[in-house]
Amino acid sequence: MSRVACIGAGMTRFVRRAEETPGELAALAVERALEDAGLDIDDIDCVVHGTAPDAFDGIHMNGEHLIAGSGGVNKPYMRHFVGGGTGIFSPIHGWMHVASGKFKNCLVVTEEKMSPCVPHPAGAFLTIFDHTTEQPLFLTLIHIFAIEMARMMHVYGYTEEEIAWVSVNNKLNAMDHPAAQIAKKITIKDVMDSPMLSWPVKRLDISPTSDGACAIILANERVARNHCKHPVFIEGVGYRLDTAYWCTRDLAFPTYVSMAAKDAYEMAGISRPEDQIDVWEPYDPFDYKALHHMNGLLMDKTGRKVKDLLFSGAFARDGSHPLCPSGGALGVGNPIAATGLMKISELYFQLSGQAGDRQVAKNAHRGIAQSWGDLMQVGCVVIMGSEGAMPLFSRQSPWNDVKPEDLPGTGIRSVKDVPHVEYQPNLPYSWDNGFALTTYLEGMAKGKLRGSYCTECGRMMIPPREFCEICNLRSVDMYFDLPDSGVVETFTISNINWASLPLPEGEQDIFAVIAIDGAASQMGLVHKLGEIEGKDVEFGMRVKAVWKPEAEREGTITDIMYFRPMADDEVVDAQPTMIKPSELTSVSARSFPGKIPLDYAYTAGIGGRKFFGDLAEGKLSGTWCEEREAVLIPPAHFCESGMHTMDPEQDARELDASSGYVVAATQVFEDRAGNLLDEPIWIAQVQFPGALGCLFGRLLVSNDQDIEAGMNVALVATDKVGGEHVCFKPV
Amino acid sequence: MGVCVMGVGISGIAPTSSGVSYREMIKSAAEAAYQDAGIEPEDLDGAVSVEEDLVSGYSIADEYVPDQIGCVRKPIYTVCGDFLQGVASAVMQIQTGRFKRVVVESYSKASNILEKDELLTFAFDPVFDRLGVSPHFLAGIEMQRFLDLSLHSSGDVAEVVTRNRARAIGNPMAPHGSRLSPADVLGGRPVATPLTDTMIARHSDGAICVVLGSDDVIETARKPIGIAGTGWASGNSIIQRRHHGVSHGTLLAGRMAYAEAGIEVPTEQLDVYYLSDLYAHRQLMHMDALGLTDDQLPVINPNGGLQGLGDLIEASSGVQLYDAVKQLRGEAGAHQVDGATRALVHGWRGLPTDTAAVTILDAERR
Repeated sequence: MSRVACIGAGMTRFVRRAEETPGELAALAVERALEDAGLDIDDIDCVVHGTAPDAFDGIHMNGEHLIAGSGGVNKPYMRHFVGGGTGIFSPIHGWMHVASGKFKNCLVVTEEKMSPCVPHPAGAFLTIFDHTTEQPLFLTLIHIFAIEMARMMHVYGYTEEEIAWVSVNNKLNAMDHPAAQIAKKITIKDVMDSPMLSWPVKRLDISPTSDGACAIILANERVARNHCKHPVFIEGVGYRLDTAYWCTRDLAFPTYVSMAAKDAYEMAGISRPEDQIDVWEPYDPFDYKALHHMNGLLMDKTGRKVKDLLFSGAFARDGSHPLCPSGGALGVGNPIAATGLMKISELYFQLSGQAGDRQVAKNAHRGIAQSWGDLMQVGCVVIMGSEGAMPLFSRQSPWNDVKPEDLPGTGIRSVKDVPHVEYQPNLPYSWDNGFALTTYLEGMAKGKLRGSYCTECGRMMIPPREFCEICNLRSVDMYFDLPDSGVVETFTISNINWASLPLPEGEQDIFAVIAIDGAASQMGLVHKLGEIEGKDVEFGMRVKAVWKPEAEREGTITDIMYFRPMADDEVVDAQPTMIKPSELTSVSARSFPGKIPLDYAYTAGIGGRKFFGDLAEGKLSGTWCEEREAVLIPPAHFCESGMHTMDPEQDARELDASSGYVVAATQVFEDRAGNLLDEPIWIAQVQFPGALGCLFGRLLVSNDQDIEAGMNVALVATDKVGGEHVCFKPV
Repeated sequence: MGVCVMGVGISGIAPTSSGVSYREMIKSAAEAAYQDAGIEPEDLDGAVSVEEDLVSGYSIADEYVPDQIGCVRKPIYTVCGDFLQGVASAVMQIQTGRFKRVVVESYSKASNILEKDELLTFAFDPVFDRLGVSPHFLAGIEMQRFLDLSLHSSGDVAEVVTRNRARAIGNPMAPHGSRLSPADVLGGRPVATPLTDTMIARHSDGAICVVLGSDDVIETARKPIGIAGTGWASGNSIIQRRHHGVSHGTLLAGRMAYAEAGIEVPTEQLDVYYLSDLYAHRQLMHMDALGLTDDQLPVINPNGGLQGLGDLIEASSGVQLYDAVKQLRGEAGAHQVDGATRALVHGWRGLPTDTAAVTILDAERR
């Protein structure tokens, strides 16, 4: 196995809304990383890309769309994905490419543009939940974070104030980070006084939504030593993914993070992480998460080690265990995949003495970065180390002095301030329920909660499955009606809806994880609580389902309106009853409807702004690329061949908008969804003399007209933005 | 370090799969692959799922991977790419020396996606490339450019459909077998001229799992097949600056895989070929890019290709790999290619991409 080192890093500023397109953001980070490593894109053997849900950028197969911006054209390029954990998994995937011996180096790129998703990117999180058993409850990520935070506070005895210290620390650290979005000196009182979103989560407990990109370059040991004076080696990696049935997990302790850390420690030869690691960059999208993850990284289920470190001040940048010296997601910002790689970059900077004012006080040789995501189920861990004594602040590195204005990336107040395209995808689904869920949902219609029983592990499982996920896929044939009562394991009192918008004044939703009576320990489901005020909900409270009237039930989880508190003397039949499961027939084999309920507003980007600005005046320009000695159309902010940025305004070369000629044309008979058009539409690929590239658009001709290659056409002026409005007419 | 296919499993392929959830479908493929490999899920060191979010209808699809492959809390990640890219990633994973056995999984529930063209449109650049028409416009342009620049005619394209769909009739795994004349294909309903509806592979549901293992752990496998080479590459994602008559992705992926497998004359050193024919003209384009000629047509997509099996989205090249493994084991049934020992499997990610991957299997390399 080849050793693998980081030899360069680059990033954009992290901003709430970027004018640049996702590809432009990626290209800006790549250009910086190449410059830092002293390499050209031609020196790069392969590219891996990490970006979290497509629902943010608003582009299906987003990895394919980002090839050009990531320097992946005509190279082996691969996108990987572990949800919110993607950022730290990215260097792990890059490590595989190099450690396998297949490639000498690998460009690792991460990008996230969350702002296109409107009205709020948080809305995308509705669709991370199980489409059949959970999405009908209209949950969002903040709800389940809050549920987890409440559980952690309950089990480990943290107060909200104690947890808020992390937010204060990280935002303060971020004041020295050039990419930082919300660096600020705040107090614990500020966090406590910030708006309560979903108890116990307050506004300042949370990282922001962000746009940004980050890139690093990995190389094998030989290349790294020849090419870099301060390589920082990847010493250990680990990543683990837990079950999707999140209500069955221990929400207080992240076992999956602990297992990933153990894998990484074994690889790195670390036996006492608390003594052998100098810099800690756990993922901190919420303040409690940093502590939650530190419990996992220290493999301490008692939580005592982390509490001791927190209360002794060890987590400060000048402490013995500096926590998130970068400023983390809470301070630098959280363009999800890019955040993880920003943390890896921070280890690279810290361990090679290039962190400038953020340099930790201790002489740091080894650091750990970790990410987390999905339905609170994935942990990714990377351990990096430098070699020998690292003289502090001795590096002649530009990174030591980088100021915010030195980093690329353009923040804007509103998408409406710049040329943009609004778009509403229509993405309906209908999910085959299958055998186990048919039995479950038919139970709902009958006012019954149903589970299935694994004879190997002895777990009564809810929702029922027809196999046991922890017993080597053993078949499960025994189905039961369960009592419709249970115990509140943890809960949140929410003031926001699934799209992160405020609930109407005076309204609150209480979501709880309820361990159902008769099911295995901690085996439960998430649902709403009713007939109770938020202030009166308690951990361990017994609750019972309140069903809709039978005539109104539809066979969905919302046939339970909510769970209500049970009286102390209320008795339930706690004995599960074996049933005959549903028989699947062509009638009973139903499917469950779903939809991606999102809208988008895309900025046209730096290149698009020039193109559509010109088009409004009936003009066309291309962008001069010095390296290719060519004028690129459409106008571009970067050249995908050389991976260097260009200025579509300054480097503009005017072209004759009426000099186009048709290269190829197709008569299209269907609309974007495959419905027959009333009249077919001609689409043409049009080139312009003196330009490299072409344009696609509608050809305004009658349908009986013959279209021949070489036909002379002119661009038609329009002040509308978007490919749909690009038209050509014969000259 | 050598890597082998230890086992393959498939759920069966059908235009719809009502009554089976995606979990149950994947589980049946996983169980079959594990049985074929002679292992239990607990023997695995990791898994790679190959899928895209919105095909699965989730925003973070990889959440829903571990359970039905029996890999809860194991190292798992998703490759948002072609199935063969997932295979290549798993091979590298094993070659790091940190992993011995890794399963690669993918599935299609295409029948559950009610607006497939709308979803495909959503994959196009939102600023320049969503033109308000069928996303197949790009295939129409491609086919036009390919016919302009190559020696092939639209009749050759139609022959691809005729041949592959007819072969599928004899393949019990392929649900889209049909008897069509080239005239039927050319005279089919136009979608984006010269492309007709009949030239586009229909969608199918199905799940595929492939267990890979390093050479030192394959003794449990019934008939392991060696992986001699992997390659993958992407052409330009900016369609305005892409050559639409050539698949650069395939060209580069093929070169990479050939070099690793020591293939200098692919027409002589390989026995059977599985190429993406999602659009019929693409099979010809891919043949050109991989250095194949009409002489190889009898052994290209002997199973009926994707025209016959259907478009299983990310899983498409997985079901092709399944058949290639069967071929090299001599278990391909009526479409067995006699004496096949080396196979090439190719996958293309479909519109709007020029991303391709190639895997070369060798029954004698292990």
